[in-house]
Amino acid sequence: MTQNQAVKLENKNRKRTGIIDCDVHVSPFDNDEIKKYMKQPFRDAFRFWGRGIFDNPFTEVRPDAKPPTGGPIGSDPEFLREQLIDSYGTEHAILHPWIYADYYADPDLKAAICSAYNDWLNDTWLSKYNHDGVFKASIVISHQDPSLAVKEIERWAGHPHFVQVLADAGARAPFGQRHYWPIYEACQRHGLPFAYHPGSDGLGSNTPFTPGFPTHFIEWGTTLVCGFISHLVSLLTEGVFERYPGLKVVSLEGGSAWLPAILWRLDSHYKSFRFEVPWVKKLPSLYIRDHVRFGSQPLEKPDDDKHLLYFLEMMDAENIMMFTSDYPHYDTDHPREMFPRNIPEQMKNKILYENAREFYRF
Amino acid sequence: MGKHVVCKVSELPPGERKIVTLERRSIGIFNIENSYYALKNVCPHYKAPLCKGVVTGMTLPSKPKEFNWGREGEILRCPWHGWEFDIKTGKSIFDPHKCFVKSYEVTVEEESESVETFEVTVELGAVVVHI
Repeated sequence: MTQNQAVKLENKNRKRTGIIDCDVHVSPFDNDEIKKYMKQPFRDAFRFWGRGIFDNPFTEVRPDAKPPTGGPIGSDPEFLREQLIDSYGTEHAILHPWIYADYYADPDLKAAICSAYNDWLNDTWLSKYNHDGVFKASIVISHQDPSLAVKEIERWAGHPHFVQVLADAGARAPFGQRHYWPIYEACQRHGLPFAYHPGSDGLGSNTPFTPGFPTHFIEWGTTLVCGFISHLVSLLTEGVFERYPGLKVVSLEGGSAWLPAILWRLDSHYKSFRFEVPWVKKLPSLYIRDHVRFGSQPLEKPDDDKHLLYFLEMMDAENIMMFTSDYPHYDTDHPREMFPRNIPEQMKNKILYENAREFYRF
Repeated sequence: MGKHVVCKVSELPPGERKIVTLERRSIGIFNIENSYYALKNVCPHYKAPLCKGVVTGMTLPSKPKEFNWGREGEILRCPWHGWEFDIKTGKSIFDPHKCFVKSYEVTVEEESESVETFEVTVELGAVVVHI
């Protein structure tokens, strides 16, 4: 039996808990854990700078998620299992290190950073910390040089626990443009979804997503959805899903309440300007259910639960939203606290569980 | 419902906190300049362990681009989303009337039973939470 067959069997026999968490962050215990996978000159060049001017001014972390063993949040597998996996009853968690490789300007350095993190994930969370197969992870890539990203995807494709490709939403161009297409071709070929998550959005070597720089973190954190909107509209209008009909995309931590209004606006423009994009064969909104999923966190919540239910219905959350906790970051969502009390059971179960199970074929 | 002796005064110096379970409720007791306050250890947002958050000050309401830091040691920030609460009242800073955490009365009482005949001072007082 191959390793993949063994994992499939393990998945089949797994106790079904009703929660799959599609965005959990893990960290090495110290920087040397990553550096040991890097060759010079990149080993010395990588300084773990973070996000520079828009590092969270209060706390990036949940202070109660600091492991008793003393390492940074998300570094202790036993503590993470106790605080997240066991207490929430999580069947699978998809792990993402936070690395901000795309803050840097050098595509070779970015690729070296991503490779080192993938090696580290493979040797730790996906193997020696993963006796029961609870942990899955994304292959992290930098998108500045797609040929290097494709090489990295090829290194890991077929791995039983690397279940998708993850890019920083911070970018130099919107994601539909042809520059990125080799990455999508590789994702489609290997059946790996392409996910993007906030990182160095508008910072470092990326272009701003606002007119110039905002002043405060509160603005950056609120308006980074502008970048997510641009990426989605670009993917839809550039015909990426026509060219790569097997491609799946996951938008993580970029909000979702904007989706209905943006799709109405885009569909409305399509009716007038379809001639510009003749490769888009139907109303752009109609590509979403077949190709795009949205992480739930941070769920934008109006004061009145009734209004949240309207939004969930308008955005087709029952079919396109997947639960994400963003543990152990400060703005974590809790699966038992985040939804209105009168949310229909079927919608809740699909968001917390079934949508991800079907999407990732767990 | 009742009175609960949670610790000696000497065990909870100014600027410190203690988290205890009373009548199956987790409660945080805070000493701000020798006055004592107790809050339910549950954030009204997502039920996070609020009282484990950082105790700090706050930027007071001000005119645009003026910064006035004040109330040092009186503000509790939830360890999850950083919501600010007034430790003295349990009320949130952003919406005190609609968003608040339950607070409990705290008194300092002389310990009634003393084993030896030491001189009674405030040091020997007990911090009592009334639920």
